[in-house]
Amino acid sequence: MTTALSVRHATKIFGAQVALNDVSIDVEPGEVRALVGQNGCGKSTLIKILAGFHAPESGTEVTVGGEKLAFEDPAASEAVGLRFVHQDLGLVGNLDAVDNMAMGSGYITNPTKTIRWRKERAAAGEALAALGYDINVRVPVASLQMSERTAVAIARAMTDRGSPVKMLILDEPTANLPDAEAQRLYALVRRVADTGVAVLFVSHHFDEVFEMADSVTVLRDGNHIITRPVEGLDEEQLIELVVGRKLEAHNKDAADAREHGPEILKLTNVAGGSVTGVDLTVHRGEVVGVAGITGSGREAVAGIIFGGMERSGEITIDGKVLPQNRPDISIERGVALVPAERHANASLIDQTLRENITLVDPGRHVTLGILRRRPERADVRVWLDKLTVKPGGQTEYTMAQLSGGNQQKVILARWLRQEPEVMVMDEPTQGVDVGAKADIHTLIDEAAAQGAAVVVCSTDHEELVRVCDRVVIMRRGVSAATLRGNDITADNITAATIGRGTGDSTEPAD
Amino acid sequence: MTDLQTAPASDGAQKKPKRRFSLGLDKYSGIYVWAVLVVIFALWIPDLFLSWDNVRTILTFQAISTIVALGLIIPVAAGAFDLTIAGALTVSVCFTAWALLSHKGVVVAVGGALLIGVIIGLANALVVVKFKVDSFIGTLGMSSVLGAIAYMITDGGQLVLSEQGYYPFLDFARTEWLGISAPVYYAGLIAVVIWWVLEYTPGGRYLYAVGGNPVAARLAGVKVARIITLSFIASAVVASFAGVVLLASTANASPDIGLGYLLPAFSAVFLGATQIRPGRVNVLGTIVAILLLATGVTGLQLAGAPTYITQLFNGAALIVAMALASRTARRRS
Repeated sequence: MTTALSVRHATKIFGAQVALNDVSIDVEPGEVRALVGQNGCGKSTLIKILAGFHAPESGTEVTVGGEKLAFEDPAASEAVGLRFVHQDLGLVGNLDAVDNMAMGSGYITNPTKTIRWRKERAAAGEALAALGYDINVRVPVASLQMSERTAVAIARAMTDRGSPVKMLILDEPTANLPDAEAQRLYALVRRVADTGVAVLFVSHHFDEVFEMADSVTVLRDGNHIITRPVEGLDEEQLIELVVGRKLEAHNKDAADAREHGPEILKLTNVAGGSVTGVDLTVHRGEVVGVAGITGSGREAVAGIIFGGMERSGEITIDGKVLPQNRPDISIERGVALVPAERHANASLIDQTLRENITLVDPGRHVTLGILRRRPERADVRVWLDKLTVKPGGQTEYTMAQLSGGNQQKVILARWLRQEPEVMVMDEPTQGVDVGAKADIHTLIDEAAAQGAAVVVCSTDHEELVRVCDRVVIMRRGVSAATLRGNDITADNITAATIGRGTGDSTEPAD
Repeated sequence: MTDLQTAPASDGAQKKPKRRFSLGLDKYSGIYVWAVLVVIFALWIPDLFLSWDNVRTILTFQAISTIVALGLIIPVAAGAFDLTIAGALTVSVCFTAWALLSHKGVVVAVGGALLIGVIIGLANALVVVKFKVDSFIGTLGMSSVLGAIAYMITDGGQLVLSEQGYYPFLDFARTEWLGISAPVYYAGLIAVVIWWVLEYTPGGRYLYAVGGNPVAARLAGVKVARIITLSFIASAVVASFAGVVLLASTANASPDIGLGYLLPAFSAVFLGATQIRPGRVNVLGTIVAILLLATGVTGLQLAGAPTYITQLFNGAALIVAMALASRTARRRS
C-alpha cells in the first residue's frame, strides 16, 4: 500500500520567523495520527500548507497516495484526496444536513436541473449512517447536537467529489464537545480510518490523543520532535515532549506573595455558557488567574462574574448576593469588567477617548443640569497620563485613532476611574504590543496593592505567571485544579489545562 | 444605523493637524452649499427670493417638519429607526380634531394627543426591544397600524375645525411674535431641549453609546432597553406635538395628512449627520440640513419649478447623505 501522506523537508519562513523547520512525516492509510504542540509550534502552518493556503519554501515535497501535491492551490489539495474539517465546522446552521452536504459537491439533479430531493436525502442519510450516525437530515443543523454537527461536516468532507478521499484532516475535533459526545466522535473517526482513509488531527486535548490516535507527532518551535505510537506513552511523557522540559517546580520566591485582605468575591456552584460548575473565592488584594483551553469554560468566567450573561448558582460580593445579568447593578457594587475582544465588547470606536472613559459614570461632571466639558476633559487627561496613553493628553481623539494597546489602556482607564473593588479582566492584553502589555501588568499589580480583588482570565500563560497569586484551571466546564506560589509556571499551567500535569490536584479550587 | 455612527469621525491621526487650517469643508459643507444657494437665488430671482415674506414662508412652512425631524434624531442616535413618526403625527392630528369637534375641551384634546404619543412609543419599544424585531421592520409595521387608526378616527374623511369656534386653539399656531409665527418658536424650543439632552446630559451620552455599540454600552452599565424605549417615546411624543401644531395651523384633519413628513425628516436627520459633528446625528446638523433643503426647494419653486421638485429634492438628498456617510466609512476601513 502506498503511504497516504508523505511530507518531506517541510520548511516555512515568515519574515525572520522559522515557522516550520525541515519537518518530515508519513501517515499510512487507515492510520489515525494526532498532531500536537504548543501555540506557535508550527502545526497550523503545516495544515495550511496541506490545505493550499501557504506556499512552503523550496525543497518541501508533499505526496498524497504517491501523487505530488501542487502548493498554494486549495483545489489541488482536494484533487489529490485531502479533506479538511475545521474547528468551526463551516456549516450553515439554518440549513439542514442535506443542503449542508450538497454545498461542496452540488446537488443531484435531473436533466432539467431540478434537484432530486428524495435521492439527495437518501444519499445524505447513507453517508451519515456509514459514520454510525442516524440523524434527521431534514432539520436545521443548528438544532443537532454538537457531535452530530461534526458528523455532518465529516460526512460532507468524505463525500466523493471526483477524487477518492485519501486523508481526512481534523482541527481540534472535540474541542467543544462534552465528554459523552466526544466518545461518539472517537468511534466515528475509527470508522473513517477503517475504510482505509488516513486521519490526521490537530489537538490540544490530550485525552482525545490517547482515546483516538494510533500514533502521535509532536512539533515544537517548528521542529519535528518525535513521531511514535501512542501505545506505551503516558500523559506526563507526552506533556514533556510538547513543552520540551522536564516539568519541575519553578523556584519562584514565595516571599513576593502579597498580603491578602478579607474575602470579597465568592462563587458557589456557578454555571453559565461553557461553564458547568465553578466555586471560587477571591480576597481583597489578590490576583487570581483563570486558565483553560477554549471550550473549557475559561472564556465564560469573566462574563458570568460581571453579570454580562445568564447563569445559575450564587455569586456574592462582600456577602451580598449579586443578581445575574445586570451589569448596572454589578457596577454599583464595585465590580468592573475589561472584556475580551474590545472592538466588539468595549470600544465606542468613533467616539472620543473622553466619551469612552467617562461612559460608566458621566454624571460626575454634571452641575446645574449641564455635563461640563472642561472638568470632564481634566478628569480624562489625568487618566490618559496615568496610563501613559499615546499620543498624550488627546481627550478628543477618537478610539479609532489609537493603536490597539492604547485602546486597551483607555478601556482600562474607564474602569480604574471607578475605583473598583472587584476587577474582572478577560484577555487583558489581547492584541496589545509588548510595551503596553508590561504597563497593563503593572496596573494590575497596583490595583491589587490598593485592595482590589482581581480576576484575570487569560490564554497567555506567561501573563498569568507574571500577575497572579493563584491560578485556577478550567477543564470541561469546571474549575478542576488550582496552582499556587511556586507551582505557578507557564509549563505547569499548560500541562494542567490540557490534561493531568503537575497542576492537577485534588484540592478544590477555593 | 451603526454604519452611520461609525462613519466619518476618524480620519486617522495624520489628518488631524491638517484640519486645523482647513475651512472645515467636511463639517460645515452644508452651510457653504446653503450660502451658495442663497447667492444663486438672490441673483436669479431677487424680488421673490430676497423678501422678508419669503423668509417667513420658509420658516413657517418648515417648522412642523423640523419638529418631526428633531424628534427622530433621538431614536436614530440610539441606533433605532422610527418610521412611525408620520403615523404618530397623523393620529395626533385626527384625534385632536375629533376631540375638539366632540367638545372634549382643549386640555383633553391636546393632552390626549400627547398621551397617545407615549403609547405609540411604548408600543414601538415593545416590538423592537421586547420582541426583538428589527426597528426598521417593526416600526414600518406599526406605521401601517397607525394609518388604520387614523382612518378609524376620521372614518376616512376630513375633519374640519370651523374658524370661528376654535380660535383659542387655532391661535396656538397662528400667533406671531416679532413677525414670526409661533410654530417656529416651538421648533426652536424643542431644538434647544434636544440639543441640551444630547450634548450636555449623561442621557445623551448613553444614547450615542447605545447607537455606537450596544454590547459595549450594556457592559458599561448602560440600561440599553430603557434607553431605546425612552427614545421611541420621545420621538412619538414630539411627533404628536407636531400634529397638534399642524392641526392648529391648518384647522383640517385627514388620515393622509402626515404622508409628506416621513421622508423629509429622514433626509434632514441623515444629511444632518454629515454636518457639524460628522458621523453622528445631531441637532445643529439637522437644522443646517433643513435650511439647506428648504432653501433649495423654495428657491426652485419660486423660480417656476413644478411642485414635485420637493419630493425629488428630498429623496435625492437622502440618497446623497447616505452615500456620503458610507463613502467616508469605506475610506476609513
